[in-house]
Amino acid sequence: MAVLTREAPAGVSAERNARQRRKEVKQWLAVLPYLGPSLFLFAIFVFVPLIRTVVMSTYATTPIGEMTKFVGTKWFARLASSNVYLNSLKVTVRFVLYTVPGVLALSLLLATLGNLRLRGISFFRTAFAITLAVSGATAALIFMFLYHPVIGTFNHLMELIGVGRVPWLTDARYALVSVAIPRIWLQTGFATVVLLAGMQGISDELYEAARIDGAGFWQCWKNITLPLVSPSLFFLLVVVTLNAFQTFTEVNVLTSGGPIDSTQVVVHEIYRSFYFNGQYGLASAQALILFVIILGLTILQFGVVEKRVHYT
Amino acid sequence: MKRTLSVVVSILVVASMLLTSCGAPAPTAVPPTAVPATKVPATAVPATPVPPTPVPPKEPVKIDFWFAMSGKAGETVQELVKRFNESQSEVIVTATYQGSYDDAITKLKAGLQSKDVPAVTQMYDLGTRLLIDLKVVKPVQDFIDRDKYDIGDVEPAVRNYYSVNGVLYPMPFNSSNPVLYYNKTMFKEAGLDPEKPPRTWAELTEAARKLVKKDASGKTIQYGCSFAIYGWFVEQFIAVQGGYYVNNENGRADRATAATFNGPEGVKLLEWWKSLNDEGICINLGRKTADTKKAFDSGVVAMTLDSTAGVRDRIDAAVGKFDVGVGFLPRSSEADFAKSGTIIGGAAVWILNLRPEEEQEAAWKFVQFLNTAESQAFWHINTGYYPVNAKGYNHPDDIAWRAKYPQFQVAIDQLHAAPFNNYTAGGLTGVFPEARQTVEAAVEEYFAGGITAQQALDKAAASVTQAILDYNDTVK
Amino acid sequence: MSKHRTKDIIGKIVLYLLLTIAAVIIVFPLYTGFVTSLLSAQNLDTYPPKLLPVDFQWENYAAALKMAPLLRFVFNSFVQSSSVMISQLILASLAAFAFAFLEFRGKQFVFLVFLSTMMIPWEATIIPNYLFVQRIGWDDTYLGLAAPFMATAFGTFLIRQFFLSLPRDLYDAAIIDGCSNLRYLITIAVPLARPALGTLAVYSFLQSYNQYLWPLLITNSTNMRTVQIGIRMLQEFEREAWNEVMAGVIIVMIPTLLLFVFANRQLIRGLTAGALKG
Repeated sequence: MAVLTREAPAGVSAERNARQRRKEVKQWLAVLPYLGPSLFLFAIFVFVPLIRTVVMSTYATTPIGEMTKFVGTKWFARLASSNVYLNSLKVTVRFVLYTVPGVLALSLLLATLGNLRLRGISFFRTAFAITLAVSGATAALIFMFLYHPVIGTFNHLMELIGVGRVPWLTDARYALVSVAIPRIWLQTGFATVVLLAGMQGISDELYEAARIDGAGFWQCWKNITLPLVSPSLFFLLVVVTLNAFQTFTEVNVLTSGGPIDSTQVVVHEIYRSFYFNGQYGLASAQALILFVIILGLTILQFGVVEKRVHYT
Repeated sequence: MKRTLSVVVSILVVASMLLTSCGAPAPTAVPPTAVPATKVPATAVPATPVPPTPVPPKEPVKIDFWFAMSGKAGETVQELVKRFNESQSEVIVTATYQGSYDDAITKLKAGLQSKDVPAVTQMYDLGTRLLIDLKVVKPVQDFIDRDKYDIGDVEPAVRNYYSVNGVLYPMPFNSSNPVLYYNKTMFKEAGLDPEKPPRTWAELTEAARKLVKKDASGKTIQYGCSFAIYGWFVEQFIAVQGGYYVNNENGRADRATAATFNGPEGVKLLEWWKSLNDEGICINLGRKTADTKKAFDSGVVAMTLDSTAGVRDRIDAAVGKFDVGVGFLPRSSEADFAKSGTIIGGAAVWILNLRPEEEQEAAWKFVQFLNTAESQAFWHINTGYYPVNAKGYNHPDDIAWRAKYPQFQVAIDQLHAAPFNNYTAGGLTGVFPEARQTVEAAVEEYFAGGITAQQALDKAAASVTQAILDYNDTVK
Repeated sequence: MSKHRTKDIIGKIVLYLLLTIAAVIIVFPLYTGFVTSLLSAQNLDTYPPKLLPVDFQWENYAAALKMAPLLRFVFNSFVQSSSVMISQLILASLAAFAFAFLEFRGKQFVFLVFLSTMMIPWEATIIPNYLFVQRIGWDDTYLGLAAPFMATAFGTFLIRQFFLSLPRDLYDAAIIDGCSNLRYLITIAVPLARPALGTLAVYSFLQSYNQYLWPLLITNSTNMRTVQIGIRMLQEFEREAWNEVMAGVIIVMIPTLLLFVFANRQLIRGLTAGALKG
């Protein structure tokens, strides 16, 4: 539309410009009450802080976050060679790899079960979705008890099935899995609900037609259900991945990043750097790197994976 | 051109928002600082003759007190606060639990920006250097000098521990040292003398071997010991061997510039510790002392290390199940006892200079209350933290209590057995909390295998040294 | 209709068995938490742990409530989440209205500005936000808890999509009849957009109710703690009394569990609608 107005005859353009300008200003004034509040909040709590993060990542700071002197890329150089930070990136990726497939596979299974036409199925659906009512902190606390080395239920169950006691949270080999389990448990409820909704949106006629053609349950599932819930699956993939990258609660409650930093995910490392160690500049650099990674990953998901999604 | 104009307009709009975003908050920033001033209309009172006037301000001064104690100790702190509030009408203290010591110091750092800090806070020894560097402390020495307050009864070692350059910064409150807890009943069963806890590492290893119990299938059902991977124990074990945690004599002779816990003392400790676990006579339950305590309470392990602060909790938890014994922190050899001793542990109460003067005065009154004989005896009896002053120690209640429960005597003896030098003074550096966590990670890494004790500690020391340098850079 | 085909009773039994196993696994942690919350200290400490409810020591709940002001925590979380929710509903409706109905220069650009906030993870801005909120003295206040989350790009987008689906003629006719924009928004657009608003309400409420890192950073006093932070303090404070800690966990879960039971359908519809459109 802007292009159109520009093609006005040259003679009257000055006057038109003025009128146009007045009109635009008037429009903006009319729009401002609608957009202003949101823009204002975004400016204070998103854009300005983002810029400040960038600035702070190039400064030395006092232990309470006052910038003292410009240090250039010192923190980034430190991070590039820092085992601690590289480790936290690796841990985060591993956490993502544990939780995302876990949540997707489990919720697909549960949603398929919940989608059966059986008497009393709504009871089971409710049971599958119940973790919607549980928060990350409470889930972590419950699992903390289940994992308890002495009086925990899981170790008892492990002994019953002959595996023996497992040092869930105290052995670097198991700790990350142990932290991932409550997350999978928690997110499976939400994911199942999303997938169930997707499955119920598939019309019965499709299945009927397939059955007439002699397709069994498995074939129906593979050829009808799965492709048709792929938009929901894609949505879950994006959301669960992003959430996993930003994990903090479970780690903070269960392990505080230990043992041997085996559960020190990036966000917890950022938290430790600025909040506990008072290294605000370093933490800002860590946060910026995480930002770039998440941005790249989201673009990748939309660019590559979404192409394979079957939209009706 | 039109386009550029509209861009300019939109930039202006956004810019004006940015400006207001920086400008607008200013008025809201005023109230928090203004409120305390208006809250205390007694500002006129100090102008009236100060000396003997028995007229107290009409409005009691309200102050916040942060503490970092849980369990029985937490309840006892709250009981002490209640007693103080009931004992007088000038000051009302509100006590807030802030989580662990680590949480409390972090919260305090956070509050410094907005001056949203309490008038008085409990803070562990690790925070000493940081609090002084941040210049947020009102040294109790100022009050002591002004009021000619008698500090003579306070344990000299404790007093010196919290003094830097001759100035006593906080008022000592809860002091402890690490002790060995052992299950006397299990000792008897294993044919060990329940009145003679192991004094050295070798003796402990021997005892642990005898205390292990396996069931028919060969599964261990009772372990000799379990020590939490708690950085404090490492600090203590290094000190009792006569080692420094950081250079410049633990940062006491001059500001510390490097970590030195990777010396032979640290390596020796880690190797012994790991050998206990590897032999299967002890079990590693991770970093949380709560978990090793639980294992001790439920009879899974026969010996554990913890602060003397837990004596009362251990005894209470064992009632009807077994007898709790308490012994000195085991040393690498008998010779250690002459050379060095344990570091003062626990915490002290700090008055912060960011709050108005009335609040600092009120905090001083509260702090004095915590240092009375009654308070210290009550505190000792209910927790196990030894009394920081001799008056509390000699209080009839305390004497009677120790007669009944000699376990409460051990930490005091251990304190008095420690020579006074810069080993037992403990490390002083602004990044101590970070250092402790780094050391804990190093211990875990070494226990996990694939790395020697020396390598693990060297790596940790390098990282802590860097943190110390970064820190020194910003506070000088 | 498929009933006739699945004559196989064994097949059905197998399916029910599978369903039951799955349900038991999902519910198990909550069940254990509940059983533990009723144990006596004696039974809590003995190994093996109890899988069946052997005690009914309801005093643990009283003890948990005494240990920490749990109800206050719940209240704080409700204040925080409700203010975030209400403000998001209002601000998102306003902004969505502008994007859907009003003409102005640079609309695309502003819309992109909105959307770009969705691509900036909270962690990238948390340090300056934390310092800023500290400096202006909003730490330990409801305002500090809620303010950073009061505007929402996701919600704006969601409601804009809905507004766009309303017939444009309706708007034009109303404006010609002399209806002001604001009045149109309040009396016509918002009531029509109730499903989308419901979705946003549920979404934003749960999102902020479950927040952890931000309240952890900016609340200091016991009385300002939200549920998520407070409940964790409970565990630290009384680390070894797991029966009381679990009682506390159950207490703070009751509000969301009730919400879940009574508004299950609504909740799920809201969540899934949000999921598919977002």
